[in-house]
Amino acid sequence: MAMVSTVFINPFSQEAKELVKASGDLDRIMEEDARLLNIIEYTRGQRLDDDSRIPGSLWEFAIKRIEWYLEKKGYQRYQPGYYRFLFNPQIAEFDVITFYVLAQAIGAKFNPNSRESRIFMESEAEIVKERLLRIESRERERVISKILREMLDSETPHWTQLEKLLENRRIKLTELILKDGEVILDKSATGRTQQVINAIREKIIPALIVQETQEYLYKVHEMAAKIEPHPILTRLAEKIRERISREFFIPKKTGARTIKASKLDFDAFPPCIKNTIKGVRAGNRNDAIVLLLTGFLSYARLYPSVFKDRKPHKVSDFDPTLNITLNEILPMIYEAADNCEPPLFQDDPQEKLNITAKLGFGLHETPSLENEGETKWYTPMSCEKIKIHLPVVCKPDSLCEKIQNPLTYYNRKRWQKKRKNEGGDKDIPRGNTRR
Amino acid sequence: MRGVIRIFQEATPEDRKKYYTREWKPEKIPAFIRENIHLREFGFDHTGQGPNDRYRFFRDEKLLKKFLRYRAPYAAYSSVALYDKPWKREGWISSELVFDVDAKDIPVRPCGCDNVCEECLDQAKEIVAMIIDTLRDDLGLQEIHVVYSGRGYHIRVLDPTILRLDSEVRGQILRYVMGGDVPRLLYTGLDGRMRSLDHFMAPLGYPRVFTERSRYIILHLSGDEKIEDITRQTMNKIMEYRDLIESDKWGEFKGVIGPRVYDRLIGSVAKLNLQLVDAKVTVDLKRILRLPSSLHSKVSMICTYVKDLESFDPLEDAVPDFVKEGS
Repeated sequence: MAMVSTVFINPFSQEAKELVKASGDLDRIMEEDARLLNIIEYTRGQRLDDDSRIPGSLWEFAIKRIEWYLEKKGYQRYQPGYYRFLFNPQIAEFDVITFYVLAQAIGAKFNPNSRESRIFMESEAEIVKERLLRIESRERERVISKILREMLDSETPHWTQLEKLLENRRIKLTELILKDGEVILDKSATGRTQQVINAIREKIIPALIVQETQEYLYKVHEMAAKIEPHPILTRLAEKIRERISREFFIPKKTGARTIKASKLDFDAFPPCIKNTIKGVRAGNRNDAIVLLLTGFLSYARLYPSVFKDRKPHKVSDFDPTLNITLNEILPMIYEAADNCEPPLFQDDPQEKLNITAKLGFGLHETPSLENEGETKWYTPMSCEKIKIHLPVVCKPDSLCEKIQNPLTYYNRKRWQKKRKNEGGDKDIPRGNTRR
Repeated sequence: MRGVIRIFQEATPEDRKKYYTREWKPEKIPAFIRENIHLREFGFDHTGQGPNDRYRFFRDEKLLKKFLRYRAPYAAYSSVALYDKPWKREGWISSELVFDVDAKDIPVRPCGCDNVCEECLDQAKEIVAMIIDTLRDDLGLQEIHVVYSGRGYHIRVLDPTILRLDSEVRGQILRYVMGGDVPRLLYTGLDGRMRSLDHFMAPLGYPRVFTERSRYIILHLSGDEKIEDITRQTMNKIMEYRDLIESDKWGEFKGVIGPRVYDRLIGSVAKLNLQLVDAKVTVDLKRILRLPSSLHSKVSMICTYVKDLESFDPLEDAVPDFVKEGS
């Protein structure tokens, strides 16, 4: 087996950066490239029966890169034979240029917390994971060692070097092997212990690359506020947005969803939510309203099946005019905030901005469509987190023992109520249910 | 039991006055607080209802001394955070990493007392020693200080590498140090198949920490505890065979109680591990903690900086004069 260049996995290596620097004419990314086509044509297992599925230019390659991920996540339509070229190491040079074109287009046009940015980061993690898996094991170990040294200067970095990874929950500290402050990622162990370390090595590489990608998107985004991006990047970003929106389009009369959005049912709220709505005393008040209630009410009302579908929707996918958000959800949150002691906004008026931010509309007084995507739409806190951060509202009942998130409680309770009333419906809501 | 009459009894306003005028000295506050007193928020409890008097700020020790002598508060607290404007809790600079071990809240207490006693205070000390070992040996942290809080211990870490970590990362440190997650040790075998290792088969890093904490919990069970997912019958079996764990025969123990029951047990033990400390304190960047040197009026003991954990005896070293005189 031939040696695999780390450029194929790590777009942030010095070699990759130099390659991109040397290549750079954005005006030519729409031109057909015979070398690229040649590599694709000679990729083992590549389907060639539909020209529209073969990228001839870097522009098309960029779109295919995102499309691969969307289709893979969507399952039914996914035909891996059309995407074999993505896993051919010979494509590394084109791939790394495409990565930067995509990152610059997305970073310039969209907020780093937007759905588009997140899908790009997720796709990068998935590509890296799959590429690593396809490399022969001994070569894989060599590549991983080299990338670890490229990104962390060592195969035994200090754990605080992984601070951003931990902060963004890309990896857990309890998944690592630590000794004297160092994370053991090298090949010095033996037997099964080394095999466990190997699994950690494989897991950490995509996490590191996605973290770097996010930081790069932030840089590009900041830069784009000062310098007008190249028009071709703006066009590409628009094309990516359209392609992603198509994937998230919800037909009005869809009936496919197991757990449908509907008016909020107070009786089905879990104890922690009921206690929060009654009002919380200072100390736990801010977290209860901003971190727990905001996510819970918005998802319960608009997208209760989030843990089942696991698709990063936006509020406006379900509430295009924001009518429900402004007239149903926010008034309930604000009322609960008023019930607190002392009333939340009296003490901390800036928490209104934080509530808007948790709904995905950035730090603004009220949500508006033009700000959507500036922040992420946060899912409600898990039971585990509630127990740590808000023990005062957590008064579990028997149903709580079976679930891991208040939203799952809500769905389960609604289903139980429905079954009691109608005596039918076999769709048991799952998602975040305990084993 | 030693001949101490008034320990663990509430101090009167006169006792407090006596303590702050005759016994308390600014020098008793540890240096890591004294040197940046002007950057910390102070909070006071004047009535025994909780620290309602917050956002207090003292430019220097003299002003704090004046305040304490004059007001003789029920309890005094200072922030784990340093701020540019502590009187507004604004301009956050850094926060210590804190572990709060309260003897009365230890989830497995063979003593079974209602409040705190010598035995559970010793237990708290044992837990503190375990936590410090992990902070040093695994996380490589230095500058670890211990304070006896009156009913337990505060571990205050001032290692420069952790002072600016956010709440999420502190939560992850907490789970690591306390053994809050069941380790998932997956690996690909030589035959290419995915396999997993039990935590006790990997005696290093986090799996070792988890095994140690779980060992502690299981060996300190009284047998009367109600543990999530564990029936009375299983509990009896655990109590019968836990000697195997004492002699590190985890595999045998798992075999005896059955692998499925074992998985349930270990999941529940992970939750108990986390309850050995007050988790909320560790993740809170703006927490106020009892001021070392101040009086814990509820139990009439001094919140004391611990120079040497091994030799520290709260019933000798943290008893105020007014208690000694009255006994």
